[in-house]
Amino acid sequence: MSPTASPAPAPADCWYALASSSEVGRHLFPLRALGAPVVLYRTEDGTAVALEDRCAHRAFPLSAGTLDGDLVSCGLCGFAYDTDGQCVSVPTQPRVPFGAHVAAYPVQERDGLVWVWLGESGRARLHRVPELPWLTDDGWAGVEGTAEVAAGYLLLHENFADVTQVPFVAPEIAPAALAGSTPPLEVVVTETTVELRREFPPAPLPGWQTELLGADVGDATTVQGGFFLSPAVWADHWDATYAGGAARLRFTQLVTPVDDALSRLHWRVSRDFALVDPDADARMHAMFQDYYARVRAAMETAQRVLDVDGPGPEVNVAADVAALRVREIVVGMLAEEGVAARPDHPST
Amino acid sequence: MTETRTTLREHESELVVASATAAADGVRELRLVDESGTGLPPWTPGAHVDLVLGDDLVRQYSLCGDPTDPSSFTVAVLREPESRGGSSYVHEQLTEGSRVTVRGPRNHFPLVSAPHYRFIAGGIGITPLLPMIAMAEASGAEWSLSYGGRTRASMAYLDRLAAYGDRVHVYPTDECGPLDLPAILGDPVPGTLVYVCGPEGLLGAVEDFCSGRWPDGALHLERFAAKQTESPTGGERSFELVLAGSGVTLEVPPDRSVFDVIQDAGISVLGSCHEGICGTCEQAVLEGEVDHRDSVLNESEQAANDAMMVCVSRCLSDRLVLDL
Repeated sequence: MSPTASPAPAPADCWYALASSSEVGRHLFPLRALGAPVVLYRTEDGTAVALEDRCAHRAFPLSAGTLDGDLVSCGLCGFAYDTDGQCVSVPTQPRVPFGAHVAAYPVQERDGLVWVWLGESGRARLHRVPELPWLTDDGWAGVEGTAEVAAGYLLLHENFADVTQVPFVAPEIAPAALAGSTPPLEVVVTETTVELRREFPPAPLPGWQTELLGADVGDATTVQGGFFLSPAVWADHWDATYAGGAARLRFTQLVTPVDDALSRLHWRVSRDFALVDPDADARMHAMFQDYYARVRAAMETAQRVLDVDGPGPEVNVAADVAALRVREIVVGMLAEEGVAARPDHPST
Repeated sequence: MTETRTTLREHESELVVASATAAADGVRELRLVDESGTGLPPWTPGAHVDLVLGDDLVRQYSLCGDPTDPSSFTVAVLREPESRGGSSYVHEQLTEGSRVTVRGPRNHFPLVSAPHYRFIAGGIGITPLLPMIAMAEASGAEWSLSYGGRTRASMAYLDRLAAYGDRVHVYPTDECGPLDLPAILGDPVPGTLVYVCGPEGLLGAVEDFCSGRWPDGALHLERFAAKQTESPTGGERSFELVLAGSGVTLEVPPDRSVFDVIQDAGISVLGSCHEGICGTCEQAVLEGEVDHRDSVLNESEQAANDAMMVCVSRCLSDRLVLDL
């Protein structure tokens, strides 16, 4: 009932954003997720495909082979697989050996991302992919980056759920209001999601945002929203309103558990202002690359403490309620999958 | 620096009744749509929502529609002859275009992944089982449904279930008599989970039948009415309540619930039904012998003594310590 931050197995029954649409094409793109090797590619008609990246014949990654039409051929033995992962031909005999297939994972492409389902495949169609329209809608521009973080995926979510961390980790990014006041925090929960919301009193926007807007707009009221949408996504909204205008930011943090010890963080920072400023992207990219590098360093440090000294007693404050609900949701998801190990009873 | 005041609440949305149709004799199906465009939160089979029908009229109904539809929730409500106000409100007041506040979803009847399932429904208890059956089917699990009801005409969703063929066994009482539990549950199979929803008579009978026959943990059931608990002799007693996380010690008098005392102390805690059936107010117990009076936790969960529903359950020892 009171799970502590310790290594948790990752829910498999979840859509994870394994890649950007632009990364997946007519080539074999290998990566790892949930402890499994995966290869992504597109068929000739453009459909994204995700297969287990290991030939059924011998230990060899299919991604080291070739893409011929819609078939992937192993670079070692020549077994050829179709988009369902079924082996359709082998070089040495006319008959395809029984059981020669690799896992084919359900794929959905939405909001410029390739979402892959690594759980029980039949259950995929009864789960939704979170909607992140600002990633592709007109009127938004953004920067992005990817980092491998040597920390559990749950630590990352708990960090995003912690409303106090931004001014500590990156004081120059946060609005002045964030450091100076503690408005009421509202946490809204459902079976599968957690939302937190705060409204800051009028205060100047941070310097970088003022510069991108091209004018000192005076005091702005900022509404911060944080959303745990699934173990694969934490999204933050920063909506600033000032005399004569508004400026919105969306931070999309796409988290993929690579294995128990490693997570992939693909981040996007989207804005609905300074859309045509040629320098805006470069500035924002440098700034947020630096911010997420600091987040990464902090999470890796926290993970090392857990690894070395084990999960210890933690003092929670009222504001931690969002992070604690995230843990409860993950515990529930794992229980539904019949996974015995719970975050409060670590197997490691 | 001032203190951050934190409030915790469940998701609430005002939805519009897009359709109100008869799903069977005495059963009204409501499709509730979100017109705000923000989308409804995802849920999993077994989940339910609160319909807030009035200030003191909050009722729980299972979601029986499509979990992947972000724009609507579907519930089916039986008109209870001895309605305490909820079902008659739904049947008489809610029509196409009505607005209703919906809280949740939450799920205390989750479908645990398994290779085999036996689903047993009594009457309107079919509702949470419909999305479960869709999930079991999608997973490639082997399953069967035994569905009892008063008469065929009173049993909702027979048409939808017919598509599953001989996995579905329909037993209207006027044709077949009551559900034959020895035939349905007489052969416990390892790896099989039993999911039951229906009236108290059926749930009690299934619990009794499974006890000692089926392995602990195989049986999953959900109650929609509070289980009858024996009232304590000599009235309620008071006890000390320690909230370990908040560092406060309180007194629970005989006439107040643990939930009320926590709330009065200004500590944010979720609650909904206040009858021990919805599971919203569950709290972790660190110390104290819990006097369980809820209908959410099963026997072994109650015996574990590590969690309680603070709206109805109390304490048998002098001191109760919660991880809150």
